[in-house]
Parts: sequence; structure tokens; C-alpha cells
Amino acid sequence: MTTPALDIQNLTVYYGAIQALQGINITVYPGEVVTLIGANGAGKSTTLRAISRIVKARSGQIRYDGRDLTALRADEVVRAGIAHVPEGRRVLARLSVADNLFLGAYTRNDRAEIQHDLEEMFRRFPRLAERRAQLAGTLSGGEQQMLAIARALMSRPRLLLLDEPSLGLAPIIVREIFEIIRNLNSTGVTILLVEQNAQLALQNAHRGYVLEAGSITITGEAKALAGDERVKKAYLG
Amino acid sequence: MQFTLFFQQLVNGLAIGSVYAIFALGYTLIFSILGIINFAHGAVFTLGAYFTYTLIGAKFGFNGLLAQSQLPFGLPFPLAVLGGAALAGLVGVIIERLAFRPLRARGADPLLTLVSSLGVAVALVNFIQYLVGAEAYSYPSSAFGGLPPSVNFGTPESPLIVRTVQIIIFVVSMLILVVLTYLINSTRTGKALRAVAEDATTSSLLGINTDRLIWITFFLSGFVGGIAGTLVGLSVTITGPYFGIAFGLKGLAVIVLGGLGSIPGAVLGGLVIGVAESLVPASAIGYKEAVAFAILFVILLVRPQGLLGRTLIQKV
Repeated sequence: MTTPALDIQNLTVYYGAIQALQGINITVYPGEVVTLIGANGAGKSTTLRAISRIVKARSGQIRYDGRDLTALRADEVVRAGIAHVPEGRRVLARLSVADNLFLGAYTRNDRAEIQHDLEEMFRRFPRLAERRAQLAGTLSGGEQQMLAIARALMSRPRLLLLDEPSLGLAPIIVREIFEIIRNLNSTGVTILLVEQNAQLALQNAHRGYVLEAGSITITGEAKALAGDERVKKAYLG
Repeated sequence: MQFTLFFQQLVNGLAIGSVYAIFALGYTLIFSILGIINFAHGAVFTLGAYFTYTLIGAKFGFNGLLAQSQLPFGLPFPLAVLGGAALAGLVGVIIERLAFRPLRARGADPLLTLVSSLGVAVALVNFIQYLVGAEAYSYPSSAFGGLPPSVNFGTPESPLIVRTVQIIIFVVSMLILVVLTYLINSTRTGKALRAVAEDATTSSLLGINTDRLIWITFFLSGFVGGIAGTLVGLSVTITGPYFGIAFGLKGLAVIVLGGLGSIPGAVLGGLVIGVAESLVPASAIGYKEAVAFAILFVILLVRPQGLLGRTLIQKV
């Protein structure tokens, strides 16, 4: 394959005295969907948060497009082309749906293009269009997840970090969300997906990493992982 | 109370209340974004008044390092107000750098920031005294150019006289409120400000530089505080380096009454307290200060979140 889009080497992260990541290596190539699976507290979200620079890395490198992200601030990571849909959606509840989307494009200055993308999001997510003037806090869980994804897309990212997009959503909504993720990938967006629902994640990814207690224990093609006895036993039930 | 007197007192109340409102807005802006009260705001208010005094080219008194000195030029009053406000805003930004950001970067308890802002307030007050002494300063009466000192809204037979300065204070304050509300609700920076106020971490994931927005907030807060200081100095005098301290306490009553973190709340709270104080009859004038806090007490019994405060709803 070509040069990686994202290349993480020996990343360690501490929360106080507790080591959350013990020197992990992850590589994501352009156009891929790569998933991180693992139990609660294994360090999946921490990995994404370290990439976005909202938690500090103790040591190691995070290279994106050849740049070292550990030297950047969180807002500069977004400017570098990475958008992060955080766990629990984190929509801005006291702002309208339209303002949430508008702020998603905060790093951009091309007014006309932003307006165009806004309309594009409303076309792609008709339920958000119906609620564009509503406060984001009044949306249902599934709608908030759509809004969180749409908001991230407003920065026109080349790499999208998705943290537990299926969390707390009804199965029919989950299917809808994953269809959106597949569509996004087909338009060329590279995706790093964190999921507790390992089966769903491996069905929708090219490759996967299994994270256990802050270390990567198994890695490989998503299909191979889905057939791996250890993975089956621990995560696929 | 006869009607004329009532009307005049009402206008006085609205004027002073509108200054309370814009003063309290300085607290509100910082509170809504950092969740803490900036106790140095009263000192910034004081500085704003002194800055304006300096910029119009007026002379200082006999005490302090700057005794008898003055600028070699004098700005027209409106320009001096804006210049003074901008300088006060700058002081706000410096306070943020020195007293707030270092603590924030270390994840300190908000209570510690409260104490460091109080320290800044004391330091500023003493610094002012060191520079220009403790005496009172008044803006020259020529400040408004050719405007008459008062306007008669009645007829020559039954006069309804209002001081021009009260009208100016009220109009300028309302103008500031309108501009600030527009800035916060309708501009890109204002929306980003509201985002940071709600959730700073998520805002940074959207590419918002939160530190930059925090210093913008401190600038705005200092700017409106500086204007408030000048307006009060204009109405009475600059009573000395402690000028802003009483306002600092009154401002706290205003934001709690209006609802912490609510901009319309700060405005309403300011006007309610200003009008209530000025309607205290002359025979009971000694209780004027008590009125503000009595109102606060009674209203909080009925509405603990303040007049326009949000009830706290935790969203999952």
C-alpha cells in the first residue's frame, strides 16, 4: 500500500498515575475504514482523544500526512484535516441545529462553500433539515448522532474519528448510521472507528485492532479478525 | 410622591440601573465561559474611568507619581471613552494572562482563580493610588460640548427636568446591550463563544481555539466595564481608587438576581435594582443599599435560579 494517512508509534497516555495506553502502534491508510475494538476502559476512546489532542500523550508519535500531531493544539488538528465525533455525541444542546453545523465549519472561511455544504448536509440528513431551527438538545439520540457526524463533516475532513456511534441507539437507527459511514467512506473519507459492538464494527471495516488494557493484542484484516477464535470468544459472543 | 419627582427618580433609576446592567454583563460574560466570578472587574471599571480622564487631556492632582501631569493632547470626549474602554479591555486581557490562564493550565480549582482575581483587584487599586493619589476626579463640564446640562420634558409651567447625563448614560448603555447581544447571538465569533461556554472540549474538537475566545471575552468584559466606569464618573465623580468596589458588590447582586450566566438576566436585574434603589423615599435614604439586597433575598426565595436563570437540567 501507499504511505499511511495516520501513523501512530509507541503512543503512551497517562491519566494521573494510571497508564491508559502502553505504547501502541496503529496505522491507517488513505481510504480505509479501520476499527478499534475492545472492552470498556481498554483505551479505545483515549486513543482517539490523543489523536485530537484533547488528552496529552506522554510519549510516542502521532504522524498525520507526515506532520507530528503531538506538537499541535486541538483546534490545529481540525485544521490539519481531522474531525472527531466524540463519544456521547456532545452536540451543543443550547445552540440550534443550524448553528451546530455552522460551527462545524469554524476552521473554514469560504462562506459560499460553507452555505453549500450546509444545504448538502440537510439534503443528506432530511431529519436535521426539518429541525434546523430547533435547539440541538431537543433532538432524539439518533438525530443527535446524525448531527454530530454532519457537524464533523462540515470541516471537510480527510480523516474522520468516530467514537461509539452506535451507543444507546435503537438497532434500526444503528443500521442507518452505519450506512452513512459506508457512504462517507465511498466518497473518499478515511475512517478510524471505535466500537464496543465488535461484530458491527468488523462488518463495516477493512482492518481492525483489538485493544486490551491499553495494549494492542491482535490486529489484522476485519474478516480474519471476525473469524479469529480469541476475538470470537471475547467480543463476538 | 408627586408625579414629577416620581418621573425624575424613575429616570435616575433607569440610568443607574442601566450602568449596573452593563457592569454586570462583564461578570456574566466571564462567568458563562469559565464558570467563575472575576473579582478584578470592579478595578477594571475604575481604571476605565481614569483612562478616559487621562485621554481627554485632563490634569492629575497633587499626589502620586503622576502628580500634576497630563497628556500633551486631549481627545474629544466620545473618542476618549472608546479609547479608555479599549485600554480597560486590554487590562482585562492582561489579567486573564497573569491571573487566570496559569491556573487554568494547571487544572486548578475555580476557587483558587477567585482568590487570584481578588488579588489582582487589590493590586490594581493600590497601583492607581500610587500613580494618581486617592483624591476624587471630575470630568470637565465641557465634556458634552454644547449640550445643555438638563432637558425639560414638561412645560414651562410644570417642568419635568432630567439631567442630560442621565439620558446619555441610559442611551449609551442600551446601545452597548444591543451591540453585545447582536455580537453574541449572530456573529461567528459570538456563536463560538456560546459553544465554548457550553462545552469547551467539544468546541476545541470543532477547531475553535478556546484560549483565543477566552481572551476575547476578557477584552469585551473589560471594554464594557471601562465604559460603565466612565459613565458613572460622568454622572457623579471618580471618587478615588476604590470607586469600583461598591459596584463590584452591587454587580454580584445583579447577576444573581437576573440569573447567573444570563445576559438578558443581567440587564433586567440591573434595571430592577437601579429603579428600586432610586424609588426609596428621601426620608429612608440611609436604607438605599439595603433595598438591593432585600429584593435579592425575596426574589431568590421564590426563584432560586434568578429572574431569567436557567433551571439546571443535566442532559445525558
